Amino acid sequence: MSTDADADRKKNAYHFARHDPEYRERFADIATEMIDKCPVAWSDTYGGHWVAAGHPEVFELARSAEYLSNDHDVNHERRGYQGITIPTPEGTGFQGGFLEMDPPEQRHYRQVLNPYLSPAAVNRWSPVVDELVRACLNEHIETGRIDFVDHLANVVPAVLTLAMLGVPLKNWDIYVEPVHASVYTPHDSPDMPRVQQAQMQMFHDMFGQLGEIRATPRPGMIDALAQATINGKTPPDMELLGVIALVIGGGFDTTTALTAHSLEWLSEHPAERERLSRDRDTLLDSATEEFLRFYTPAPGDGRTISADCEIAGQRFKEGERLWLSWAMSNRDPAIFPNPNEVDLARTGNRHHSFGLGIHRCIGSNVARMVFKRMVVAVLDRMPDFRCDPAGAVHYQTIGVIQGMRHLPATFTPGTRIGDGLDETIARMQVICDEQRLAEPVTVRKASAAIAPEHG
Amino acid sequence: MKVHVDAERCQGHTLCAMIAPDVFQLDEVDGHSTAIIDGDVPADLEAKVAEAVRSCPEQAISTSG
Repeated sequence: MSTDADADRKKNAYHFARHDPEYRERFADIATEMIDKCPVAWSDTYGGHWVAAGHPEVFELARSAEYLSNDHDVNHERRGYQGITIPTPEGTGFQGGFLEMDPPEQRHYRQVLNPYLSPAAVNRWSPVVDELVRACLNEHIETGRIDFVDHLANVVPAVLTLAMLGVPLKNWDIYVEPVHASVYTPHDSPDMPRVQQAQMQMFHDMFGQLGEIRATPRPGMIDALAQATINGKTPPDMELLGVIALVIGGGFDTTTALTAHSLEWLSEHPAERERLSRDRDTLLDSATEEFLRFYTPAPGDGRTISADCEIAGQRFKEGERLWLSWAMSNRDPAIFPNPNEVDLARTGNRHHSFGLGIHRCIGSNVARMVFKRMVVAVLDRMPDFRCDPAGAVHYQTIGVIQGMRHLPATFTPGTRIGDGLDETIARMQVICDEQRLAEPVTVRKASAAIAPEHG
Repeated sequence: MKVHVDAERCQGHTLCAMIAPDVFQLDEVDGHSTAIIDGDVPADLEAKVAEAVRSCPEQAISTSG
């Protein structure tokens, strides 16, 4: 029912269509306009929803957990809320792990996984990541040509995520393609049945892993989930699969997207690339945060208003949907001077790329570590790389992930160091098993120990 | 200058420890931050603490004195 009061509440209106290609093409202009004119706006798109674009507004809203719900009530047991995707995909009866839950269950799941994903836990994996990166580059170093998405940025995050879960590393190719393709393939694409088929295969493997690990425990996040008690209950398998899928979805395509965009930018700015390589000890951290801010791989999250409230000067009603745009808030000139410029040494970089509040990205430490190791290795072994703009394929739309499908590059050929990818993955599997690397940091504190195979 | 991390607000973004590792330490299990300097921050670290305050996404760090 529309009333005058309702019209007054929704007077800041903006037609926000983030799933249209135009949103990607005009992103900076749209962000500037919304931040300036309507930092919180009502949009008629996707069934009608609120959009928060301003940095202070997103900050305040995202941290108001008492009025916001992430719940995706797939079985209609509570209030029927639709989770974090706007619009809700057709025919989904699938809850996206604890990112589509509220406390206390959400908190209990995070407590289960935190000791696998804290900075101390993640740093233990750094030698493994270096080995995987080295091997990926080996496969192409002698040819002078590489696709940074297909041959590096898609591979390393996937293999590492599976290792941390306790899934055999060699299964990475069952997982990587469906995760990547399901994000960039439009729903009406003729390729969609193939993607769905691959997704089914992935869930089949995931379900098999859960059963195997339950029967014969081996360390990793799946083991922790299989043994978890959540709010006094043993969770059903479907719920656990949602959590595993969240870890996989969060761990794969986002880091891929960040790495690809950053390498593309560094190719276009060779002087800045040299500076980053030379001054990496002081510049790599701030550059990483700046690439995170500028490219915001996960551009936003949906919420449902769980009680009538007024936040950031806007009145909301229970049940209304809200899009928190991390990507637009990261371009707010009030917080970030020259927001549409990349400044590798930017200070005060309070970006929202990992979200805010109780749902802050639980894998942020993995993302940062893997990104840095990949970029540094490319700078060392392919210092003059040039990305081919004609071959680069960006996602057509950035409603879900701001990613890239392909990023071919050329460089002066170099020499291999040690073994190739398949051999390295097999060797890392032995090391994972022997050293029980996937134990939580509360059990195993030491970093992975890897004898240099290549002397 | 004294520095304090509000444990309720901190969500473990870890920027403070990246910027000023001599001032902030991260919990081994959840990565949440605490200030390791109880008394006054040494003068040569004040600028870094100020940068950590500015950079905290949750605005969980405060200084006094």
